[in-house]
Amino acid sequence: MQKTSTYIGLGLFLALTAIPLLLGIGYALLFSLGLTGILSEGFTLEHWRAVLRSAAFWESIVFSAYVALVSIGMAVSLALFVVVRRPHTFEKGPLSFFIYLPLALPAIVMAFFIFQMMSKAGFLSRLAFQLGLTRSLGHFPDWVNGQYGIGIITAHFLMALPFFLILYTQMYRHEGMRALMQQAYTLGATRRQAAWRVAAPALFRRSFATVVLYLLFVMGSYEIPLLLGSQSRQMVSVLTIQKLQRFNLDDIPQAYTISVLYSMAVIVLALSSLPAYKWSGRKLFNRSRTVLKE
Amino acid sequence: MSMFLEAIDIRKSFGTEKVLHNMNLRLAEHEMLSILGRSGSGKTTLLKILAGLELPDGGRVLLEGKDMGRVPPNRRDMVYLYQEPLLFPHLNVFENVAFGLRLRRVPEQDIRKRVQEMLDNLELPEQSRKMPQQLSGGQRQRVAFGRALIINPKVLLLDEPFGALDAETRASMQQLLKRIAEDFSITALFVTHALKEALLMGDRIGLMQEGKLKVYDNKKAFIDDADTGVQAELAFWRGIG
Repeated sequence: MQKTSTYIGLGLFLALTAIPLLLGIGYALLFSLGLTGILSEGFTLEHWRAVLRSAAFWESIVFSAYVALVSIGMAVSLALFVVVRRPHTFEKGPLSFFIYLPLALPAIVMAFFIFQMMSKAGFLSRLAFQLGLTRSLGHFPDWVNGQYGIGIITAHFLMALPFFLILYTQMYRHEGMRALMQQAYTLGATRRQAAWRVAAPALFRRSFATVVLYLLFVMGSYEIPLLLGSQSRQMVSVLTIQKLQRFNLDDIPQAYTISVLYSMAVIVLALSSLPAYKWSGRKLFNRSRTVLKE
Repeated sequence: MSMFLEAIDIRKSFGTEKVLHNMNLRLAEHEMLSILGRSGSGKTTLLKILAGLELPDGGRVLLEGKDMGRVPPNRRDMVYLYQEPLLFPHLNVFENVAFGLRLRRVPEQDIRKRVQEMLDNLELPEQSRKMPQQLSGGQRQRVAFGRALIINPKVLLLDEPFGALDAETRASMQQLLKRIAEDFSITALFVTHALKEALLMGDRIGLMQEGKLKVYDNKKAFIDDADTGVQAELAFWRGIG
């Protein structure tokens, strides 16, 4: 009975998520190979060659990875720091409610907020000018639309931080971290040693697969880099959409090529996080390998 | 004469519930005292107070005559072992056992030698690279013992350490603990709610009841006391026979 319901669940999951995704990738692959589309003239690898030789494509991949690693790296580090030092901060009281609010904020709203705060005409620029730190608003650094993606990183960091604070707070409570830390104390660890040698690495290990998936999510984000990114250095999703929506119809197959390449990279990374899922101490399948455990 | 470990007039309440009432305890060096008690009788609270993980409302804890009142858990040299082995999930068996040595900055070569010796002693030589989730319940508990014993603590505080094991593993772990207690001349408090285990493990036996500890002079006195439940147990088995 349990087996049957598991197979039904797995079938529904595949039908609703995996199959539409695979169909989309399949269509994009056909388009990228010149096998479909308005201007298709039969099988060609020309679009793949053009993309793989394009500096803009590789730069966008590296830039997307950089933004994801820095923003999520900072969010995970700060969340771990707060939770291992003050594990009960977000368990009770008003903070336990307010911490959920940023999660309900759409990405585009966060992007506008960052734009208003950090752009050359934004709040921080005006404050710096009033304090005499800059000679004019134009002298304020390029935090938004700049080549280092500071605005994009800040927006993603602010969106990811509450998520990881909630995640680690819940994990601290449910994974018996308090008992582990007490065990470490009686073995001779100071509070700091117990926090950094036991709680933080144990929590990070447990969350590793989630961290990888969040990285992938940020790498593929669109609204925030669209509003806060620069013209010269684009994240991969912005580059893809621009090629797809240009007037030059010859660019469309390249957009599909980029989307296929990016999808393949994401699938490889996601699959490579399966060992990490196991490494984090979780099980995908129980011993009989039939029932999804978590 | 002062004993190796003493608890004097320990009091502890949680809200309105009094858990320990002026409880006294004396433990000699290299002695293992079994403490038998029902759930909620205050056994765990007592061990946590001795380990410094809970603060008593009143009373004193002395180790080798020294007041432990202001000594934090990491400086008491008393290792508290839970019912669950609580191995650190991000460390393999070797690193779990080496944990206390690394905190004490023992040279790497010594760590390797001592951990390997400990794993041999605990019959775990082949498991050193395994992660905790790859071990059985009994193996995990052995690693927890190894991690505690390797730092040579003055007192081991064992809080129903075999409670989560099946009967067979439990019996073999009891034998193992008896052996290593002798080999390492351990001073320990062994808390359990199992009558047979209390009799088997302790050099002396105490009964925790309503927040007070009664320690018996010998096993016969323990068996003869109706409060311990031994007589009722014997009557049950005789009744079946």
